[in-house]
Amino acid sequence: MVQSHHRGCHRQGNHETVGESKEKRPKFFINDHVDILIEILKRLDCRSLCVAASVCRLWCTIARNDSLWENLCFRHASPPPTSVRSVVLALGGYKRLYMGCVRPVRRRLGRARRASWAGDEVQLSLSLFCVDYYERLGGSNSNGRLVGESSPSSSLMFLCKPVNV
Amino acid sequence: MVLYDDSATLAGSCSGSGSGSSSSFSSKPPPMQQQQQQDIDDLLAGAGYKVRSSELRKVAHRLERLETAMVNSPADFSQLASDTIHYNPSDLASWVDSLLSEFAEPPTYPSEFIMDPVTNQTVANDVWTTTNPNMPQVHQNISYEQQSLNNQLTVVTAMEEDSGIRLVHMLMTCAECVQRGDFSLATSFLKDMQGLLTRVNTVCGIGKVAGHFIDALSRRIFQGIGGGSINGGSAFENEILYHHFYEACPYLKFAHFTANQAILEAFDGHDCVHVVDFNLMHGLQWPALIQALALRPGGPPLLRLTGIGPPSPDGRDSLREIGLRLAELARSVNVRFAFRGVAASRLEDVKPWMLQVNPKESVAVNSIMQLHRLLGSDSNLNSPIETVLSWIRSLNPKIMTVVEQEANHNQPGFLDRFTEALHYYSTMFDSLEACTAEPDKTLAEIYIQREITNVVSCEGSARVERHEPLGKWRTRLSGAGFRPSHLGSNAYKQASMLLTLFSAEGYSVEENEGCLTLGWHSRPLIAASAWQAVSHAPAALDTHRPVQSKAG
Repeated sequence: MVQSHHRGCHRQGNHETVGESKEKRPKFFINDHVDILIEILKRLDCRSLCVAASVCRLWCTIARNDSLWENLCFRHASPPPTSVRSVVLALGGYKRLYMGCVRPVRRRLGRARRASWAGDEVQLSLSLFCVDYYERLGGSNSNGRLVGESSPSSSLMFLCKPVNV
Repeated sequence: MVLYDDSATLAGSCSGSGSGSSSSFSSKPPPMQQQQQQDIDDLLAGAGYKVRSSELRKVAHRLERLETAMVNSPADFSQLASDTIHYNPSDLASWVDSLLSEFAEPPTYPSEFIMDPVTNQTVANDVWTTTNPNMPQVHQNISYEQQSLNNQLTVVTAMEEDSGIRLVHMLMTCAECVQRGDFSLATSFLKDMQGLLTRVNTVCGIGKVAGHFIDALSRRIFQGIGGGSINGGSAFENEILYHHFYEACPYLKFAHFTANQAILEAFDGHDCVHVVDFNLMHGLQWPALIQALALRPGGPPLLRLTGIGPPSPDGRDSLREIGLRLAELARSVNVRFAFRGVAASRLEDVKPWMLQVNPKESVAVNSIMQLHRLLGSDSNLNSPIETVLSWIRSLNPKIMTVVEQEANHNQPGFLDRFTEALHYYSTMFDSLEACTAEPDKTLAEIYIQREITNVVSCEGSARVERHEPLGKWRTRLSGAGFRPSHLGSNAYKQASMLLTLFSAEGYSVEENEGCLTLGWHSRPLIAASAWQAVSHAPAALDTHRPVQSKAG
């Protein structure tokens, strides 16, 4: 289509350029450039990232990558020390941290939030995340309650409840 | 005469709080003035109506139906009112039945005087079985019910509120009788209150709290002051209840997070740290501290944790299991960790050598609602609290975090204690209403109920819940050689954030001279404070204190 348009617009003098673009212009597939794709997906918000994960298998794999979720967690806060990463990975990963703690905390604090709290939000989320990991360690030992892999353990249930107005 | 139409409250509440205490009540027969016939509701009897308590629900239903029938067929009123009285209205059940059947078949009017064979006897102050024609009274009844149809709901709620207030007054009066030693009068009050409970909604609000207090009072009266011992509950049960209390409301979370913040700040710069926890339970406080230490600038220290807890009876070493879990967590985040468990059923049985404190390490002592158990009733020289405080002092801790209930439940006078407890636990139950997660909420209520029972029904060494307010703890701790260490703005910020996460909008964090209190609608319920040991060394070595003062 592009070529016929060109032929229509530039009738005489640009025959060479049309021919060139026909040969040299490659088709651009974003999936061929995974690094660019990652850079783009890194900047998405949570909902868009989850939607993106349903596009195709490649996007799904990339969206599951923990480093993207790390960006989501620390987006509004100053960059944390590198030791945080090993701790978070040991406790279950950034995606779990985000979905289980950071997102509900951010949502709840959204109304009463002050700008200075951004870093503290993450700190608090980390602490709650750690308690959650500890309870998951307990597993069926604690009160005979079976704790599933994906469901949050009881200590985070208060975050899941809707806010009473 | 008012009968409520919410029959649901009847069914649920009688079985709940009434049955336990009434069974203990019947086992010891105290002298009763009123009871000739079992089962007659005596509050109504006082008004001149005899209804069996078991039939109350049925009668209420039938009155409803009667009301609708009367409203729908007003033409029959005049006929009913103008005839001589056929039925004995003091026996409410049969009176309603007969009126209802009459409405079902309008034209038949039996001409004889029908009396129910069961209630042949008349009650002493019965105004209805006089020889006067009861027509005017019946007429009044009918018109009353006509009016009440219009504001049916408001009558019920106003009456419930009224009953709630009456309940509180009766509780106080009963407690005063108990303090005076007048147990027979107290017992009759108890019975009245149990009857009143059936009219009040015991699912929430004052009815629920009142139910627990009535229970506790009846334990005190009938089982004696050592009888309501909570130590009957096993340590395992206590841990579970504690866990659910942790989940259901923010008090324990607030306590843990605030204490951790103080400990974290105190351990800044130290590489060898030792935390002594006076009540380990499931160890829910420590994961957050371990994580915070792992992430502190400069790397994590070597952390030793000594957890004190009750011995487990069935051979499983629960302290060790908790220690293993914590150790696994610490290993995941690369914190060098060592755990030691000390099993002791009472805190005063713990001796400092059991803790094996290394002189080179920095010690933190953490007491979440444990110190009040040491306050014996008589203040002799060797009271347990002073012993324990002195050996804590001898450990020279960098910081001691103390979290206690903010209430005055250790007064010598029973009535004062009772009143204070009623207010405190009503507020606490109010705050618990906001929690919707089951079974957390129910089990948390049982946890609180055990505290109530201990405060109200136990004395002497059985009473361990001897809460004292922050001011008294300040005096006590200052006298034992500690000085307050202000919880910083970080702790306040964290506590505020934590509260915002809880969905109920009634919690409030307040700062009180360097201590933080968490309360419900500006009534503080729990207070967290931090203390440092005043050093005996000369002032030159202690750079924190601007003013030199000798400590004892």
